[in-house]
Amino acid sequence: MTRRTFQAMGTDVELLVDAPGAERHLADAEAEFRRLDRAMTRFRGDSELRRLNRDGEIEASPDLARVVALALDARERTGGRFDPTVHDALVAAGYDRTFSELEDGPSSPPTPAGGGFRVDGRRIVLEPGVRLDLGGIAKGYAAERAAERLAIAGPCLVNAGGDIAIRGGCWPIGVEGFTLELTAGGLATTGRDRRRWRRGGREQHHLIDPATGAPARTDVLRVTVVAGDAVEAEVAATSLFLGGEPGLPGVVVTDDGRTRLVGGLG
Amino acid sequence: MTNHTGRLYALALALVVFFVAWAVVAARPWQPASPDPRLHALAVRQAQLRRDARLVQQIVSRQRPAHLSGAAVAPSVRIVNLPPLTITRTS
Repeated sequence: MTRRTFQAMGTDVELLVDAPGAERHLADAEAEFRRLDRAMTRFRGDSELRRLNRDGEIEASPDLARVVALALDARERTGGRFDPTVHDALVAAGYDRTFSELEDGPSSPPTPAGGGFRVDGRRIVLEPGVRLDLGGIAKGYAAERAAERLAIAGPCLVNAGGDIAIRGGCWPIGVEGFTLELTAGGLATTGRDRRRWRRGGREQHHLIDPATGAPARTDVLRVTVVAGDAVEAEVAATSLFLGGEPGLPGVVVTDDGRTRLVGGLG
Repeated sequence: MTNHTGRLYALALALVVFFVAWAVVAARPWQPASPDPRLHALAVRQAQLRRDARLVQQIVSRQRPAHLSGAAVAPSVRIVNLPPLTITRTS
């Protein structure tokens, strides 16, 4: 088993491949992940996503067009629980710079999401005033693309800060004290126990409820969902955290420390 | 101009006319242009490579191992009593 770790998209990324001499493929997978990070981050002035948010309309790269189309589809499928138009709500909550640079400051009023946008081939058009944040879904997508690269060497796993993509093999993954053996699909964990900060003296976190435009107030602390791939798992985990039905196998942890297996797991 | 100089000009002109006529006849403009045999060989080779590529693709798709499959799959998961290789957590 060969392992490589690095930092990207504001999190730790781990690559595992069950093949000897896979250094070149590990480097390829890391380069692919970093390339997608550069395109889809909202924290770099020269990223493609920043250009889209600034201009409101661009002829995008195939990757950005694909991720925005996936996000649009996810918004429809989850009844708006997953919504990439929470960009301004995140900024209003204080998440206006990379997480490591966040500090306490005055609070701003919440900004409800739900603005319109469309994807026509590679053309992305945002309605006036709409800006996108692709944080979680871009991470899942990058994990899948990196896994595709690594799979050329052999069975592999990519763990992008809790968003896990696999190709082949049998992978024991630690989740809330359990070990889940994943042989197909992807997995994602999201929650408010990390990536949280204070604003106006009040605790904030990155999981925005699109209906209120503010960090979700819920007794759920953390959820993990297993789905067809890391992108789908990320969408389902966000939806479940925000009160969606647990249709897929998963683990839910609440504030009082209770752990619940859902979706037929267990 | 003397007669001698005139004869030289006439000889030079006759030589030019002779060689131009030679070049025209040698080019055989009455025959249809034949395709470059190298281009023909390249076209044959291209068709052969396309056939080979289709064959290889058919073999690969029949033998494609699971770790190279990019198609969406149904998740397969169960709880086991093994030490984890990696841990998932909120990022």
